[in-house]
Amino acid sequence: MSTLTEIITAADAETRDRSLDAFCRGASLDELLAECAALERLRRTSDNLYERVRALFFLYAIHRFHLLDAPGVRPVGHVPYEGYAHLLSRRFEEAIQVFQAAQADGPSAALCSALAAAYHRLAFQTLADQVRRSVRSVRGNQWMFRVGHPADHPLRVRRELLPGGDAPALVLRESTPVRMDLTHSAWSDIFFLGMDFPEGARVLNVSIDLGVRGRDPAPRPPVEASLRVIDEPVLRLTSVDLGASADITDLAEVFDFARDHLGLLKAAVIASGIVPPGIEGSGAALGDLLARLTAPGHGIELVSAVHGIPKGSRLAVSTNLLASLIAVCMRATGQARALTGPLDEGERRLAAARAILGEWLAGSGGGWQDSGGVWPGMKLIRGEEAQAGDPEWGVSRGRLLPSHRILGEDAVSPATRAALQASLVLVHGGMAQNVGPILEMVTEKYLLRSEAEWAGRRQAIGVLDEVLAALRDGDIRRIGALTTANFFGPLQTIIPWASTRYTEALIEAVRAEFGDDFWGFWMLGGMSGGGMGFIFAPGRRAEAQSRLQAIMAATKAGLEHALPFAMEPVVYDFAINERGTVADLLSGEMALMPPGYYALTVPGLLRQDPRALTAARRAELDRFAAACRTMPELSGMVQTLFDRLLPRAGLSDDGQAHLGALLAEHGFDRAQHEQIRADMRSGRIGLLQNRLPSTTRIRDVEPGDVADAAALGAEHRRLGARALAAGEVAVVSLAGGAGSRWTQGAGVVKALHPFARLAGRHRSFVEAHLAKSRRSGREHGAWLPHIFTTSYLTHGPLSAALAAQADAEGRPYGYAGPLLLSPGRAVGLRLIPMARDLRFAWEETPQQVLDEQAQKVRESLHAALIGWARGAGEGGDYTGNAPLQCLHPVGHWFELPNMLRNGALARLLAERPQLTYLMAHNIDTLGATVDPAILGLHIARGDALTFEVIARHLDDRGGGLARVDGQLRLLEGLAMPREQAEFDLSYYNTLTCWVDIDRLLAAFGLTRDELADDARVADAVRALAARIPTYMTLKDVKKRWGHGQEDIFPVAQWEKLWGDMTALPDLACGFVAVPRLRGQQLKDQAQLDGWLRDGSAAYVEALCDLT
Amino acid sequence: MRVTKAVITAAGRSQRTLPLQRMVDRDGTPKSVLWIVVEEALKAGADEICVVVCPGDAAPFAEAAGEHAGRLRFVEQPSPGGYGHALACARDFVGDAPFLHLVGDHLWLSHSGRGCAEQLVAVAVAESCAVSAVQPSRESLLPSFGVVGGRRLPGRQDLYLVETVREKPTPTEAEQHLAVPGLRAGHYLCFFGMHVLTPGVMEVLGRMLRDAANPAEVTLSSALDELAARERILALANLGTRHDVGGKYGVLTAQLALALGGVDRDEVLVSMIELLAMK
Repeated sequence: MSTLTEIITAADAETRDRSLDAFCRGASLDELLAECAALERLRRTSDNLYERVRALFFLYAIHRFHLLDAPGVRPVGHVPYEGYAHLLSRRFEEAIQVFQAAQADGPSAALCSALAAAYHRLAFQTLADQVRRSVRSVRGNQWMFRVGHPADHPLRVRRELLPGGDAPALVLRESTPVRMDLTHSAWSDIFFLGMDFPEGARVLNVSIDLGVRGRDPAPRPPVEASLRVIDEPVLRLTSVDLGASADITDLAEVFDFARDHLGLLKAAVIASGIVPPGIEGSGAALGDLLARLTAPGHGIELVSAVHGIPKGSRLAVSTNLLASLIAVCMRATGQARALTGPLDEGERRLAAARAILGEWLAGSGGGWQDSGGVWPGMKLIRGEEAQAGDPEWGVSRGRLLPSHRILGEDAVSPATRAALQASLVLVHGGMAQNVGPILEMVTEKYLLRSEAEWAGRRQAIGVLDEVLAALRDGDIRRIGALTTANFFGPLQTIIPWASTRYTEALIEAVRAEFGDDFWGFWMLGGMSGGGMGFIFAPGRRAEAQSRLQAIMAATKAGLEHALPFAMEPVVYDFAINERGTVADLLSGEMALMPPGYYALTVPGLLRQDPRALTAARRAELDRFAAACRTMPELSGMVQTLFDRLLPRAGLSDDGQAHLGALLAEHGFDRAQHEQIRADMRSGRIGLLQNRLPSTTRIRDVEPGDVADAAALGAEHRRLGARALAAGEVAVVSLAGGAGSRWTQGAGVVKALHPFARLAGRHRSFVEAHLAKSRRSGREHGAWLPHIFTTSYLTHGPLSAALAAQADAEGRPYGYAGPLLLSPGRAVGLRLIPMARDLRFAWEETPQQVLDEQAQKVRESLHAALIGWARGAGEGGDYTGNAPLQCLHPVGHWFELPNMLRNGALARLLAERPQLTYLMAHNIDTLGATVDPAILGLHIARGDALTFEVIARHLDDRGGGLARVDGQLRLLEGLAMPREQAEFDLSYYNTLTCWVDIDRLLAAFGLTRDELADDARVADAVRALAARIPTYMTLKDVKKRWGHGQEDIFPVAQWEKLWGDMTALPDLACGFVAVPRLRGQQLKDQAQLDGWLRDGSAAYVEALCDLT
Repeated sequence: MRVTKAVITAAGRSQRTLPLQRMVDRDGTPKSVLWIVVEEALKAGADEICVVVCPGDAAPFAEAAGEHAGRLRFVEQPSPGGYGHALACARDFVGDAPFLHLVGDHLWLSHSGRGCAEQLVAVAVAESCAVSAVQPSRESLLPSFGVVGGRRLPGRQDLYLVETVREKPTPTEAEQHLAVPGLRAGHYLCFFGMHVLTPGVMEVLGRMLRDAANPAEVTLSSALDELAARERILALANLGTRHDVGGKYGVLTAQLALALGGVDRDEVLVSMIELLAMK
């Protein structure tokens, strides 16, 4: 039996927990390939889910981290397009077959990257499928998938809630706390982990009420769901917190999750069985279904309210709201024994199981502890081993649902509970981040049993026992010490990305200010920066609450351009909730919905003809009017309604003025903008028009087209070193972009993002690049001038950040060489996209298909966004967002010409006339350095531009080096006439480009002396720009609103790209293939973990001088 | 065990005229629903029959029972108190004897030559315990019936040991507590409207009614659920078909079932085909 098969199938934990990496480090290529064949057999033949999944993760990790650059594996190769198309369509098995067939000729790095991706995705798909099967097979959920017709519906709304006579309909109101995890469980509540390692899946979960300090008088259950029967045959859904309401009359709309902001309510209606999932697509009438549930002509109204608790609190607000909505629906339909009061244990478990189902339906997902607010007080939630009779029996070691043991006073005394509340300050730091990639990393590392991470997990398990002991002893200070040690120890060992510079700056500031009275830090949820806890000596808690508000605001102000903040930080008041979810029944004059409901709905009702309102609506308005006079919580409602009734402008006058000023300041060309708009509307430019004609011949490079950096000799190195020593070289880091993919359009400055720890501290891209220049300067005895190109978005923050990091001599980061900013000279105004471009992007170009339900949600979202584009006016100016989010950079082609126009190059040349060469690189190409050998090659060949390329891997999409109708050039992905063509290209553009200044100036028709003539330079740039193609692109832009809510809109913008310089026939360009570690780019934060694990981080660290 | 007594409940306020509904029985004779139900009991060997009625209904019910009126004893349910209470009104009549219980708004058609109640009594006598007749039914019918959870007796195709009984459960509760191994998914053992009960049920009902805040919530199901914990109760399935005369089109379908299973089958079939052929 193969060693790895033995590890996976071992019955004893010691063998089973052996690390994959430890084995692979000592294995030869042949041994690794033989193990892959054995793992492939195992995954195909094993009946056990986790053996199959672990084999898949092993296969992924071997290909990704051990085979990719193993001796004997060809560095250059091709990924068959057919396999890639299978991957996009989630036909992973077929993709693997295609890649394996191609590998018959011997492994290549390209194929290894493709196989790694396929195994990785198949592993997660297999796990997701199993969770879905388990959720469906939970007893009490199965029937919902069988109901296919209203006549089959076995639920009825309880009689008490049905209308009777003139009395107002009763309102059933569910109030639910949220949950916090008092140890941070090392993410052990991930379903996959709990189902394979139930003994290690344990969390200490506390139900809490919340209030925002300074706003709310006292903590209260933060989420609330209300239900009543109405005298209209509609499903009326209202989200008070998201300001959305809809009367749904069509069954299909109930399953249309992304159509509006009511997805969570729809998921609750479905997961509670009111509209059972089995009826989707049946064509049945929603009215018939509602009549069967209630009475003919009647419907159901469901309202959700979150009491101003911001998104991203890490307190599982949305899951507990979902559970609350499900609970109220279950009560209303008799699926809970008691109409009011708490739920019993079986009902709580069912509500939790259905919340999981609801999250899956709505295309989201959390951990199994997230609906902990349904339970009262403090509880220990543990994974459970599957037993005979369980749906999981024989499939996985653990059950899908854990068990909940509520901790009584013997385990945690009332005094300890009070002491905890008297010491803990809960906050929301303001960051809202996507924790999805982190949860995937945790799963992967668990299944691989990577040594350090596995040791960290065992350590974190021990922390929970120690916290329990401290709670028993009433030692809150000890809890603070434990959670701090957990955060800085095992949690960051497992996931380094759990921490951020922001978090650590907060901890440092608090520690400095409170000294020994600061007892500890505690991370809530998936990662830090949002919901967090700080533990203090009780006597200083009140002071700490005030100071934390100020410390967070100040720290955020210093980092708000570097990290994605969704809102201003807040400090909470909280209290342990000892009741869990409870319901009460509102009758008579009190039968009202939450106050925010009326602020949302009454203006619309008042605009209607009163005779068009139903009798119940008229009566409700009377009750509401009376309540406004008598109920304190409705004070101020009249003013709120008045404000809402009056029409409001979309963007404030201030905002418009700010946008106008920004456009003027950054060189917005209105005439050009109008031309682009006209061309876009008429179809002359667009996504389809970006492409070269289909008759264009695209071929791969030929021998001799690309130099090999690895083969460069001492002569080149000497030549380059001499130029470096003579001060003939400068570095240009392109830092004008917003890093759309990096923070999903959050509009932060990527260059300033403290993305990873290097030499023990979080460092930004800027700092890393300067550290490399420092090292090169020291090695070659001449400081490199370093230029950061900027744009409207990045210039101010970059200058401020560099100033803030200046040493005593005013040198940012202590960089002794010349350091310049080259401000942008062009800006565009984003446009509302054309529906045809959206359709082209989403329907006609190959797209990654998502998991079944997530794909449905995405299609629904796409339909809604196409509707938005049409409604808002295709091709119109995009101004409905913060002004900076309405502008766009116009592509990196302009970054070097900007240096000509803004005088940066002229100044540099005046100071250093010997300056001859530039190395320009993207801000995220961290491995780029002024390598003397490559520089020597560039000098020796005498080209105007030398571009660095890398051997293509699967994820290297977006063009490459090609012979286009015979001409060797870089071809952008946007211009590819066919998607397949890209897969025939061996090399991908790194965008690192060596420039011979004089030859480049010549291409512009300029000389060094003419750089002082602004008009001449402007004309020259304009003339060359006209020869470069303009691409229309779609970018995602975040719009922030409410309490940390974010919507993402696709907007149209145009750009010109530097790689197209290679298409100019009169410009001599060369190409050199460099190692991947040097040329790879970091585009997505999800890449970071692999970047750390595959040695890239260590490689970059070695290039830097971070002293 | 000998079963010589029968109790028919017909005191539902909203459906008090249903037992009076005239039908044509399988033998072609016009009879009231009550008449047919009484004959079902008689065929099963009952010679003392008690009918629980609303106050003032005894006379019309006696008339509706036709030739069997003289064998009936009427007990009035003084005020609306629910199903459990109605049955408990017959406690004195039952005394210490086991009894057959039939609901007054159902009709039954046997799959065999023997009546449904007759077969049920035979099993109760043979097993010497209470037996409820049940019918595997789709979950969409759960809101209308009491439902039994249990397991099949070894070697017996249609006989189950009752472990749990719930009145009109939700499908969620049914799936969690009432699933019976061997039945199709989404099918449960729903009451058939006839039971052979022991006097113990009267004792449980009496106590439950005394203790209940709302006596209307006391049902035969809740009493049997409690009783199943301390005495053996069986459930017998597949006796025939049941027809709830009180349901939507209940009278029509019950009549069609009687007619298509009786002497006038051809005549009724022809009428139906003619109706179907008409536009």
